[in-house]
Amino acid sequence: MAYVALSEAEKTFILHGVEEDFRCDGRSRRDYRPMELETGLVSNASGSARLRLANTDILVGVKTEIDVPNPLTPEFGKLEFFVDCSANATPEFEGRGGSDLAQELILSLQKAYESSLAFDYRTLCLIPGQQCWKLYIDILILECGGNLHDAVSLAAKAALYNTKLPRVTATLLDAGVTDLIISDNPYDCTRVGIDAVPLLVTVCKIGDYCLVDPSAEEEVCSTVSMVVAVSMRNNTGRCGGYKMLRPFITKFLSTAYLSGTHMTGGGSMHRETMLNCIQLGLSIGEQLNSLLVKMLKAEEQRVGPKRPKTVGFLK
Amino acid sequence: MAGRMELLSEQGLRLDGRRPHELRHIKCKLGVFEQPDGSAYMEQGNTKVLAAVYGPHQAKSKKAEGNDLVINCQYSQATFSTAERKNRPRGDRKSLEFKMYLQQALSAAIKSELYPRSQIDVYVEVLQADGANYAVSLNAATLALIDAGICLNEFVVACTASLSKSNIPLTDISHIEEVSGGPKLTIAALPTAEKIAFMEMSERFHIDHLETVIETAMAGCREIRDILERAVKEHLIHMGSAADWARVG
Amino acid sequence: METDTTDQSKDDILICLPGERLCRVEDNVVLGEGTYEQGGYIYASKSGIVSIVESEEKYQMVSVNKPGFHLTIPATGDVVTARVLVTTPKFAKCAIFCVRNVLLESSYRGLLRKEDVRETEKDRVDIYKSFKPGDIILARVINQMEQSFMLSTAESELGVVIAYASDARKNRIPMVPIGWGEMQCPQTTIKEPRKVAKVLPESTIKSEP
Repeated sequence: MAYVALSEAEKTFILHGVEEDFRCDGRSRRDYRPMELETGLVSNASGSARLRLANTDILVGVKTEIDVPNPLTPEFGKLEFFVDCSANATPEFEGRGGSDLAQELILSLQKAYESSLAFDYRTLCLIPGQQCWKLYIDILILECGGNLHDAVSLAAKAALYNTKLPRVTATLLDAGVTDLIISDNPYDCTRVGIDAVPLLVTVCKIGDYCLVDPSAEEEVCSTVSMVVAVSMRNNTGRCGGYKMLRPFITKFLSTAYLSGTHMTGGGSMHRETMLNCIQLGLSIGEQLNSLLVKMLKAEEQRVGPKRPKTVGFLK
Repeated sequence: MAGRMELLSEQGLRLDGRRPHELRHIKCKLGVFEQPDGSAYMEQGNTKVLAAVYGPHQAKSKKAEGNDLVINCQYSQATFSTAERKNRPRGDRKSLEFKMYLQQALSAAIKSELYPRSQIDVYVEVLQADGANYAVSLNAATLALIDAGICLNEFVVACTASLSKSNIPLTDISHIEEVSGGPKLTIAALPTAEKIAFMEMSERFHIDHLETVIETAMAGCREIRDILERAVKEHLIHMGSAADWARVG
Repeated sequence: METDTTDQSKDDILICLPGERLCRVEDNVVLGEGTYEQGGYIYASKSGIVSIVESEEKYQMVSVNKPGFHLTIPATGDVVTARVLVTTPKFAKCAIFCVRNVLLESSYRGLLRKEDVRETEKDRVDIYKSFKPGDIILARVINQMEQSFMLSTAESELGVVIAYASDARKNRIPMVPIGWGEMQCPQTTIKEPRKVAKVLPESTIKSEP
């Protein structure tokens, strides 16, 4: 992580700001910094997204490959995360310098995506036991401005939403051998369902208070933080009888579930504080998710027929 | 050379519809990021590169040798940058080679006598690779150095060139032309002084053609230099008017 | 002269790029920052605005400035501000963090040898009686050795400017100079030996060679 040097006075200033619920940049403890999102900007990848959360810049590319499913889970496809900390972010990442941070991020993403309720691995299956999709989610950290976990998970989800898998049809050949025909038409593709895909929310404890989306300076002040993985789940299946009401009910019945959490940083916290942190993380995660879905929908509109050229880094 | 694909159609157009002397579309921007001392983004056709410069700062003890400036480069390629997924972004032979070549070409341009015992870090990240990766990386690095305010003799720009079967030189090779087996010549030049800082060539062709291919690449360098110059000027005017032409120093 | 921007109004700004030829080398033209000479011409080595400053002796200084930007490396002759890190019988190791009036982003190593502490009675200097780790000193760069910059405080305006008493670390009250060789803690009235700088307005130090 980029090293930020703060004096005692600066730390105290940040601490007092957090106590007053008025942080250095004017946010309250529950606010996120401004975000910019763009999808589909890497043409060599099946799906891609670039997220800029204040000074944190993440580029994600999703690559696909056909693989053999794990014999223990024949109906599941595969997902693999890879994080690369670019030396562009800080000279400390040169060579293997960023590998510890990368490993930490990979692990927390893996844990969050582990449950098949959080990510539906069945949609990636082509022929149970024989062929499945393997998605490589390659994350590139271009600039660190704090709160990497949240930014990385948001960008990964956006890239998954943007991912287009070519439609595959299987034909049975002689002797039970199946042959896969991958569609050549770039518009004939399937998408990955992202409704339940988890987001990570870092709840940072500074002084006696918990806050979300810490900046790099705030991260220095905090002794301990919780990374909460929040997965949304739709419970509409249960209310089959109220079809008329479904649109309204959906809103209330999609609830936030916890799909993994872990603590980072050297400090310790009280059990009750920890539960409060997780509660805060869940409620923020829910808001964040609906915000992201809204952003992605807007982005999709933009990518329609009247699509302007991708801006990328040229803005 | 038999068996390789013809790079020029009968109408004299290349695989992507360009004429032999035409460059791909170039877009670039200086000052993309805030944390590095200088940064730049460069797009040449479908090849997209980000470069960042840190320094000059005190040389790390293990790298310092005597009184010279240490130019520390790193070339890495995002795992999703190529059509086939790469397993690791750096550390393979190709990126080590490019890193060395970057160091060579940049040390010809940087006025190193002004920065004794210092170190300049140049980090290049290829986001999308579609041929001429080294050339675009070097051009992006030059822009980032200018953004960082590091003194240069002049712009150092690189361009690639090839030769079609019918012995017509081609400028700015794309990935598809690279893999279809023609010769590939990369030149890094100081175009105003007409000096060549670095040259690399692969595949064979007759020595008689070398002169014309080099001239083609040099012409490409000059053209790229003009484009970069325009971008730097625009950036300066933009930055300068924002800072109200305040002079520091 | 090919360029003439003596009066710099906002609409009349000359922008140059690295490698651009600015003017011919003439007797009354001096090379400033961001320029270099080659083959009888002056070229720009940075992108920025060309400025030509005319001094009293009919000299013109051509230099290139980048708006809102400044980059500094200590050079021989510069007055720097440094923090003493380690003292040994022969030298004191320092970290240079400020050159002239420009704060550096990362510090440079500096070395202050026993012989360069003061002008007179050089052989009777004791490093331990001149500096303590943690002191902030003003020094002049006299040479550039491998790995570090050689510093000197052999001027009455150079030496320790801020120091804390060695026992009163908690209170952090800076000591007050009471002579060229001693400082005193205002709280405990303990006196400690230091090579004290006679702090003058910056302009007086700068004008020296």
